[in-house]
Amino acid sequence: MASLNFKATVPVFDANVGVGHRYNQLAPFEDPAGLQEEMQRHGVERALIYHAMGENISCITGNEELLKWVDNNDAFTPQWIASSTADSIAQLQDLHADGRVQSVRLFNTEVMNVPFADWIFGDLLEWLSAENIPLWVSFADTPATELMDTLRRFADLTIVFVGSHYSHSLVVQPFLRHLPNAHMEVSRFENVDALQRLKQEFGSERFLYGSFYPRWAMGPALFYIHHIGLSEAELTAYCAGNLERILQGSGRHD
Amino acid sequence: MIEGTTVIDFHGHTGRWDYYDMNDDATTMLHTMDAVGIDKSCLFHIFYPDSTPGNDITAQFIGRNPDRFIGFAYISPLVPENILPELERSINVLKLSAIKLYSPYTPYKLDHPIWDPIYQFAHDRELVVIAHTGNDLVGTAFPEQLGNAAPRFPNAIFVAGHAGNAEPCRSQAIAAAQRSPNFYLETCSTFRTPGVIEELVKKAGADRVLFGSDTPLMDPRSQIGKIITADISDEDKRLVLGENARRVLKL
Repeated sequence: MASLNFKATVPVFDANVGVGHRYNQLAPFEDPAGLQEEMQRHGVERALIYHAMGENISCITGNEELLKWVDNNDAFTPQWIASSTADSIAQLQDLHADGRVQSVRLFNTEVMNVPFADWIFGDLLEWLSAENIPLWVSFADTPATELMDTLRRFADLTIVFVGSHYSHSLVVQPFLRHLPNAHMEVSRFENVDALQRLKQEFGSERFLYGSFYPRWAMGPALFYIHHIGLSEAELTAYCAGNLERILQGSGRHD
Repeated sequence: MIEGTTVIDFHGHTGRWDYYDMNDDATTMLHTMDAVGIDKSCLFHIFYPDSTPGNDITAQFIGRNPDRFIGFAYISPLVPENILPELERSINVLKLSAIKLYSPYTPYKLDHPIWDPIYQFAHDRELVVIAHTGNDLVGTAFPEQLGNAAPRFPNAIFVAGHAGNAEPCRSQAIAAAQRSPNFYLETCSTFRTPGVIEELVKKAGADRVLFGSDTPLMDPRSQIGKIITADISDEDKRLVLGENARRVLKL
């Protein structure tokens, strides 16, 4: 029975939260406490966070800024943004040497006019594959054709694609079929009954809740997946379990 | 129904848009409505520029589930001589309840005189006109254009579909609602910006905001989630989810 109010009924680990101000937009929260207040309002216990500076400006600076958010805070798990440059890969390798890299996120290539091609990103993708580090990529910010053409050459790489939209409805299923190690974050994918159809075809291990907050509101997608007929075990997997498994390096399905 | 409130989805479609996986399968639509307590959905068909075939499809669709769906007439000025006859037919014969406009499928801004016969018809009959609003490429759907029409036809109810969608159009929609008591804001949008529902309620008033989902283009469960998870009072949620719609549709 629906209610006028909502809070998650299972533990929630948000797979897609940006922190810090974007170069052109102030974040709705100033500090970790502000973000946690919004998380608590919806029943979100933990979040995988990246710094917005890394999306369009500098992954190096963004990752340095991110350190201020994750130190001494168990609610947040850092996600480092990557570029194709030697400086970026060196930064990630240093962080990895300290045991701090559980996932990496591609910067917004489309708006920066950088093709996501293996002749540009090959070194990064080879390193991630070798170290079994999953890569987050945004359908909203990198063309799907580039993602497919490049990622299918790195079959060992675990991928989470985020931000798919109803305009990607003809793309999502082929993407999941052709990339068996790809997972889908569901923040903005809201074709009618589509999540149920995807679960029927691909099972419940390849989907995870992320909000894409603060680009999008934190609550609606969480409310949505609580009302699509998932069993409690499936809901728990969507809301936290699948993400935990991927971050532990156990995201491969091939 | 949610906690005693009849929930009315003010924005939905009949017809298919296969390239976006949109299909007006009534069984699926009712299933998604039932999952979150939506009692009725308002539907229209916008893909026929001569309006008539789409309105027939809507009327037939509504006729199969009259307790759950409410039909709106889609009227396009691309066939100007058809405007008044199709309005008369849709409202008098097909018994559709309100009027839908989609100006991005035309070259005419929403305050162009070509729309005036539709607005006059709505004014004369005290009907609702819901128009798509947003920052579309051809510039025909800005909320301020609809807002320019609203004071000239005070007996009509003007509804900005998507409440302008995103900035700067959202602020235009809010400003129009603040200027005109017959101007309302409808909430469906793929731009689920944090705080947007709170902003609409705070600046336009909870009595001027209407829940909509865009079903079956978008799942009503995610769209109603915007209202349910918004930081507004339960009283305001009841207004937005259904009580305002019941009032303007005279249900």
